Amino acid sequence: MTIPFHTLGQRHLVYAYCVVWLFQFGYGIWLAVQWRKTRR
Amino acid sequence: MVNDTSKATASRSGWGLLWLALTLAVLAVGFYHAMTAPTEATMGNLYRVFFYHFPHTILSFLFPYLNCGASLLYLFWRGSSRERALKADAFAVASAEVTVLYASVGLATGMLWARAAWGIWWTWDARLTTYLLLWLLYVSYLLLRSFSAAGQTAVVSAVLAIFAAIDIPICYMSIRWWRTQHPAPVFGGGADSGIDPSMYPAVWWNLVGWTMWGAFVLGLRYAIERRRQRQDAADALAYLGEPQEAR
Repeated sequence: MTIPFHTLGQRHLVYAYCVVWLFQFGYGIWLAVQWRKTRR
Repeated sequence: MVNDTSKATASRSGWGLLWLALTLAVLAVGFYHAMTAPTEATMGNLYRVFFYHFPHTILSFLFPYLNCGASLLYLFWRGSSRERALKADAFAVASAEVTVLYASVGLATGMLWARAAWGIWWTWDARLTTYLLLWLLYVSYLLLRSFSAAGQTAVVSAVLAIFAAIDIPICYMSIRWWRTQHPAPVFGGGADSGIDPSMYPAVWWNLVGWTMWGAFVLGLRYAIERRRQRQDAADALAYLGEPQEAR
């Protein structure tokens, strides 16, 4: 199974994908940190 | 008793991790389908933003209703059952935060798509304006919760949540009521709406994946808020238990 990365050949498309992953997983990591902080 | 509580917490964490693993697997399949879906005739590869813009926007219309429902329950229970009211309040905070997260991604991906497709970052179109209003309402909800020092913060924010939810149907229907810059609905928008069936896997895998991710972050944020509530209650009790001269 190969992923055709050439379909990402648009600058704004790449930015949009980066926004999605950064926002979502950034928030996920922040939650994980809060989870550890609030542990008794 | 303590042993039972820690066993229950460990069991919930185990299920949470399993859910997270499953979610990441679904998102990976969604990513693969988003990359391999056929190229669109007019926009080329740029249309692939849709596979992320669509689920985030749809889900940012769903989470505010959870926030509104939890706020109503908070107002209903606050006089009769304190524990239930606190749970509802924790759920309201969690759902508002996830709403802002999903709406931020919806806005950002929409603006990037607009810049490439229309040549502009922003226009005061009906959908964009009502969507920005939605984002601002939930950001103000979170700011109110963060900076309000009054004892009635939960009540005031619950009332705000009920009013904020009024924007959701207006925003959702805006592309049906007013034909401005934003395209007509892709699904359920009449005879000419829809996409090629070969693009369905990318749409549905991503919709399911981001729904699962939303449920995961919502559950985790709720659990964190419940911990904070218990910590606050313990701190208050400890303060009351201290001798007067020690304060």
